[in-house]
Amino acid sequence: MKQVFLIAWREYKQYVFSRGFLIFLLMFPVSLVALTAAMGLVERNRPVRAFVVYDQTGQYADDVDREIERRYMFSALHAWNAYVSSAVEGDADALPEPFGPGSVNDGRLKAFRAAGGFDAARETVAPFLREGAPAFAMPRRQFERIEAAEIVGGVASVEEAERVLRPFLLEQRQVESGEGSKPLFAAVLIPHGFSAEGGPAAQYWSRNLTDTALQDLVGDALTSALKREAIAEMGLSEAALDDVAAISAPFDSYRPDREAEEAQLSLKDRIETTLPAALTYMLLVIIFGVGNLLLTNTIEERSNKIVEILLSSVTAGQLMMGKLIGIAAVGLTMPAIFLFGGLAASLTVASTGDNFIGVAIEALFGSPLLLIYLFYFFCAYAIFAMIFLAIGAVSNSLQDAQSYMGPVMILVFAPLPFMIMVFQNPNGFIASLLTWIPIYTPYAVMMRAAADPPLWEILGATALMLVFAALLARFMGRIFRNAILQSSPPKAREVWRLAKKDAA
Amino acid sequence: MTDYPVQLESVTKRYGAFTAVNDLSFQVAQGEIYGFLGPNGAGKTTTLRMMLDIVQPSAGRISVLGSSSAISVRRRIGYLPEERGLYRKMKAADSIAYFAQLRGLSARDAKRRAYALLKEFGLEKFARAKNEALSKGMAQKVQLLATIAHEPELLILDEPFSGLDPINQQTLEKLIADQRDSGRTIIFSTHVMQHAERLCDRFLIIAGGTKRFEGTLSEARAGYGRRLHVRSSAPASAFEALAGVIAVRLERNGGPESEYDIEIADGADPQDILRQAVAAGIVLTRFEQAGATLHDIFVALAGDETAESPPARMAEAAE
Repeated sequence: MKQVFLIAWREYKQYVFSRGFLIFLLMFPVSLVALTAAMGLVERNRPVRAFVVYDQTGQYADDVDREIERRYMFSALHAWNAYVSSAVEGDADALPEPFGPGSVNDGRLKAFRAAGGFDAARETVAPFLREGAPAFAMPRRQFERIEAAEIVGGVASVEEAERVLRPFLLEQRQVESGEGSKPLFAAVLIPHGFSAEGGPAAQYWSRNLTDTALQDLVGDALTSALKREAIAEMGLSEAALDDVAAISAPFDSYRPDREAEEAQLSLKDRIETTLPAALTYMLLVIIFGVGNLLLTNTIEERSNKIVEILLSSVTAGQLMMGKLIGIAAVGLTMPAIFLFGGLAASLTVASTGDNFIGVAIEALFGSPLLLIYLFYFFCAYAIFAMIFLAIGAVSNSLQDAQSYMGPVMILVFAPLPFMIMVFQNPNGFIASLLTWIPIYTPYAVMMRAAADPPLWEILGATALMLVFAALLARFMGRIFRNAILQSSPPKAREVWRLAKKDAA
Repeated sequence: MTDYPVQLESVTKRYGAFTAVNDLSFQVAQGEIYGFLGPNGAGKTTTLRMMLDIVQPSAGRISVLGSSSAISVRRRIGYLPEERGLYRKMKAADSIAYFAQLRGLSARDAKRRAYALLKEFGLEKFARAKNEALSKGMAQKVQLLATIAHEPELLILDEPFSGLDPINQQTLEKLIADQRDSGRTIIFSTHVMQHAERLCDRFLIIAGGTKRFEGTLSEARAGYGRRLHVRSSAPASAFEALAGVIAVRLERNGGPESEYDIEIADGADPQDILRQAVAAGIVLTRFEQAGATLHDIFVALAGDETAESPPARMAEAAE
């Protein structure tokens, strides 16, 4: 047994104490911080898109402005929610209405404005802020409408306006905006006769075909304006129209498997249903990652002829076991470090009262999810590691291994497209089917972990998977033992014969 | 089967229809250097692997250090395979210590021994160097040191001289002799006869998987034709005409005189041949009697098998 652990320890050390691994460990949090900082930087430096609305009807530019303002206020409310969740000492939900975190809709916006807007919000929450919390900053605006008349003057037709605007859209000429001179991002041309009754269509001109935010915004604004016109014709006042537009249905979700007072879907429920999917994805990535480690280091031992020295000191079975244990430990080290690092960081954040993090920690550590993850990690690892190990034993180079790796990669990643179906319907047909296919049992069970799948199905499929894993280990172990010492790699058609032979 | 450190009885190894080793029996005595000679593909490596229980024989019995399987006594064995390597990213001292630990030394003893050996063999400066940074000769020394670090009773070295420069070959010869002098039993395979001639107490010649000879060099010589080395201005045909001469081979042709290697018949008297030459008017400036070299014996015994037999590894692959 000592030899097995010596081999395992060497395998473990080779990867975990390597410069690359340590750099990766260091780089990961650093890159996360850098990414967050970069996103903030991008957000702060995002160019304000300048656009014009050439409106021959003279009716719709204000509607576009209103929609821009509405959306800007929505983004400000999202930022406010995030701000109070992290900056307030204690429970942010206890803040006076409507300044606590809440849903973002027209109703909330109306209430917010009625309560004095963001200035009043800042004053109200000031006594509740934790020490050293930064002041709330409004997000940057995304769009700036330039008066069309400043560019097109008194042109008489849409065609002429388009001709005048084209050089500005093609960045050949620039417009004067609040941020100085810049090219025109888009132009909206609204012709005479634009209506819901089948008149000429409004036109959206822009060189940027990928960022459709402004296009969507203008489309929504014009649709809303036409609806308001239609409803106004039915005799409703402007104020009534505003009230109708601000209606947002109060809507809560419930779980039928819980008693009334606990049935309402909470943040914890949402996290608990999403976590298994995240863990499954991590499982897939880690299995593939460590499988590759096994493959490359077995090929190294084979091609460097180290294996014969090893086999004069240990049996092929001990060598195999040592490698499996060592690489499994590598596979668990990375998520363990991130998990405990994340836990430490989360506890620090949670102590400041961040609701989301606290709930996420409770969901992860307060349920059997981690234990289930560990069990199925070892099962999936046992299955795929044996396959990778056998491929390494029959290959003298990565090139040799490629011919086997193709089908294995398809096997490893085949369930990916179906996982979304399992996520959306964890007790449906696809979920059941994948659960009963032994190589996918670990992934499918992980995905279904929070959806209370039938116990008999999980136990039955797990038993089948364990039998399959044992048989696979037997066959792949034989391939490993029989092929590892062969000077030239066996041909693909000979591999089956090696799997049937008991010993060299 | 416990009198000899290594004993094989009627050992056969088949790979499908191909017989790599056929009915092989021999014993290696305590404290001797035993040469395992044969052309490429003769079955040497397969036999050594069977001794180490890395591959199992198809038939026959093997005893190593009193055990029917080398696995249970592997800590008392040092094995240097023909095709050898090291972990590229591992340091030299760590490599030696790792293999010594696998063979039973404690971590502390393995490390201490690794540094001592590296110092003894002039490699102490490279103890912390990664194997990939070592020259080929240095890497081979490290491999050899890894083989002996746990102070084994039995050393099995498969083609230990291959790839070494003459200086390192000399160092290795001395190391093998030293190991023998300290009481260890050594088996080494080679197809370079000079090493075997200088080092081996006894040797075995194997070809086509079959034993062709086992014994000492003088025993081998006794069975093979004696030779005469002569220098003379006479042509080869003059010697071929003498009674008792089987074959004459021109060894060197420089100036007025040539050197000949003459094979004489069993029972022929060299003095009689000398008398005949003088009587025939042949002027001799050198007349020397010599036994057959190991090279001659090897070629005579295994020459028909060289390059013809499929190496076991090809059979393995086909199997």
